Amino acid sequence: MSLNKDDLKKIRFFDNYTEEQLSVIAGLSSIRDFQVKEILFEQYDELSELFVLLEGTLSLGISLATEKRIHLGTIEEGQLFSWSAVFAPYISTAWVMAITPAKVIAIDSKKLNLKIEADCDFGFKTMSKIAQTISHRLSDTRFQLMNQMII
Amino acid sequence: MTIDRNIYKPFRAKLTDVIEESPLIKTFVLVPEEEFSFNTGQFIELSVDGIGEAPFTPSSSPVVTEKLEVTVMKTGYVTEFMHNLKPGVFMGIRGPYGRGYPVEKFFGKEVLILGGGCGLAPIRSLLYALENVKDKLEKVILCYGSKTPSDCIYKPLFTRLNKIEKFEAYRTVDKAEEGWNESVGVVTTLLNKVKINLKNSVAVVCGPPIMMKFGTIRLLEMGYKDDEIYLSMEKNMSCGLGKCGHCMMGEFFVCKHGPVFTYKELKETPDIWK
Amino acid sequence: MQYLSITKDEWDKTLERLLLSYTIFATLRNESGIEYELVNPSNITRISYNKPKPVTSLKTFFLPVRENVTSAISPGKRRIIMGIPNCDIAGLKLLDEIYLDKDFKDIYYRERRENSVLISSDCFGVQEHCHCLTYDIKPYSTSNSDLAVIHLGDLIILRIITSRGKEFLSQFSLVKPMKDQSLVSEIEKEHKATEALLLSSNKGLPGYSETGKLLRNAGDEIWRKYSAKCVSCGACATICPTCSCFLLIDKPGFEKVKQLDACQYPGFERVAGGEDALFEIHRRFRNRYMCKYVWKPEKFKPVACTGCGRCIEACLGRINKNELFLELALDRS
Repeated sequence: MSLNKDDLKKIRFFDNYTEEQLSVIAGLSSIRDFQVKEILFEQYDELSELFVLLEGTLSLGISLATEKRIHLGTIEEGQLFSWSAVFAPYISTAWVMAITPAKVIAIDSKKLNLKIEADCDFGFKTMSKIAQTISHRLSDTRFQLMNQMII
Repeated sequence: MTIDRNIYKPFRAKLTDVIEESPLIKTFVLVPEEEFSFNTGQFIELSVDGIGEAPFTPSSSPVVTEKLEVTVMKTGYVTEFMHNLKPGVFMGIRGPYGRGYPVEKFFGKEVLILGGGCGLAPIRSLLYALENVKDKLEKVILCYGSKTPSDCIYKPLFTRLNKIEKFEAYRTVDKAEEGWNESVGVVTTLLNKVKINLKNSVAVVCGPPIMMKFGTIRLLEMGYKDDEIYLSMEKNMSCGLGKCGHCMMGEFFVCKHGPVFTYKELKETPDIWK
Repeated sequence: MQYLSITKDEWDKTLERLLLSYTIFATLRNESGIEYELVNPSNITRISYNKPKPVTSLKTFFLPVRENVTSAISPGKRRIIMGIPNCDIAGLKLLDEIYLDKDFKDIYYRERRENSVLISSDCFGVQEHCHCLTYDIKPYSTSNSDLAVIHLGDLIILRIITSRGKEFLSQFSLVKPMKDQSLVSEIEKEHKATEALLLSSNKGLPGYSETGKLLRNAGDEIWRKYSAKCVSCGACATICPTCSCFLLIDKPGFEKVKQLDACQYPGFERVAGGEDALFEIHRRFRNRYMCKYVWKPEKFKPVACTGCGRCIEACLGRINKNELFLELALDRS
């Protein structure tokens, strides 16, 4: 299912883009549905889409050599994930699975990267938003780690 | 001539019920022998006869005055004795002390509450107080995180809150257990999904020091001003009277100037998260 | 200021008569120095006037080490405390603000305060570590004590300070307005001489608020350096005229015993979960001085250090806080 710029305006992640920039993103995006227990991508998969969760809850985790899935946390509505799709070598650092029926915005990351290179203002805004997501992910992970360390 | 009350002498309250919330947490239902009322966020010094006393923020509604509820985690000497008490005994109460939540300042606004662990106890009292004035509020959102699903206290609270008009409640755990199908991760991850009008909102944070630190940082990043974030500081309150010196936090006595502070009041004070 | 006088002999006889209706404590000289003792007819003539200063601070009379704070107050005999140096009178101002605050009055403290006549003694001379003047506290009282006493020649001269002091003296027909006003200039000469001694022995020592500013900016190293010999005995807090932190200990029947505590003791800030923000000695050491010079001034008007120097005298490790302050002041300049 395709999107238009007005759909994107309702989502906090897309704040501060101009109308033209939102149209560009909408042109690169589609909405995808996932069923419960459906895997969006595995750890070490090569990624070609950047995702923003619209509805539902997803589980994020890592796998060990024994292929046992370790569930590290959930991705909440409004959150960006699969940011590795924008940075070489575009390999996922974790697996993501739907734990409720989920709706995500999927953005073609190859085309997005071309636009980032061509348009500095758009590139800066997009990279800043991705950096903030990663920063929050790191901060939350440290918080989680400290909680585990202190009994 | 007014006779001053003895500030050190507790009055008695009968323990009428003990509710097990989790393996380490119990809620005590007390009926004071004297007239007693408190503002949400204030604390009392609760004593076990002949053993010791400790500070607690009541977790019950401030509107209900015939009884009060105190949620106690077993962490040390006095609380261990408390956990062994059976209904029918008397406990001692001094208080209420301190500055609670300024609920009137929340009127006309959206209230975002970030809670962790045993911090849900004072938050539950605040939620009752807010429910009582919900016509004067825009919205109330609770984001709560506990270590595991078993540590999540007041289990029926979340279902009840989501049924009240203008109230929303979300919860998460650090580590899931069998059968848990809600969010996993620290409480700050829930802030991604709340829809809040930052231009007309206040935030309340209550929980263990680490959670309060990370939570406050995230709220400031979101755009909350430092006088819009209310923190409940628990710091070794002992006499409750601004005299014994144990709860001194920089220039403040937590028992007198807190336990509720705005972040603006505390941001120059070092070591508040210790 | 109004001065009254009486001969020394008549004063001693007056004190003896007062013993019938008052408990009297006064400063007496003993082998190790000057200390408060309970006055009785046989030691009245050994009372020491105008020599600084008793080993114990005035605090002990109002904040006992241990007391039951839930038992009924039994009105006791009125008491007179005589020979109090002004540093202790100044310290009492802070204790009054803490214990007589309008929201939470300590009725035991109040009873003792109302039941005591305070007679301070002007200091003619100084001890090694006296530095009251550096914190704007004079070596003689003009407020908060009821009377001040001076022994000059064969006269006892009394300066009236409060209305209670005036009323107290009015019962003694032999205490009369002082005839020889030239004695006032003699007293003032003694004051100036003492002040000169204080100034010369404390050159360079920063004042109270200046010390606060220096401490705010002090780094960890100086606290570690000066606390290296600290053994957390708590003598400094015990002997201090203004330290009054306490514990409340529960006894059966919901009784409470109030017992003096000190931030120098380990575990002062330990919480039930086990965390202790002041676990390390140098943190507790820093806490003491930050409390006295930075944090208490934010909450209370009277100073939290009166410059009596007892903490320096009492310290087992011979730690001298003034050396720390001088070092900070020198580094600054």
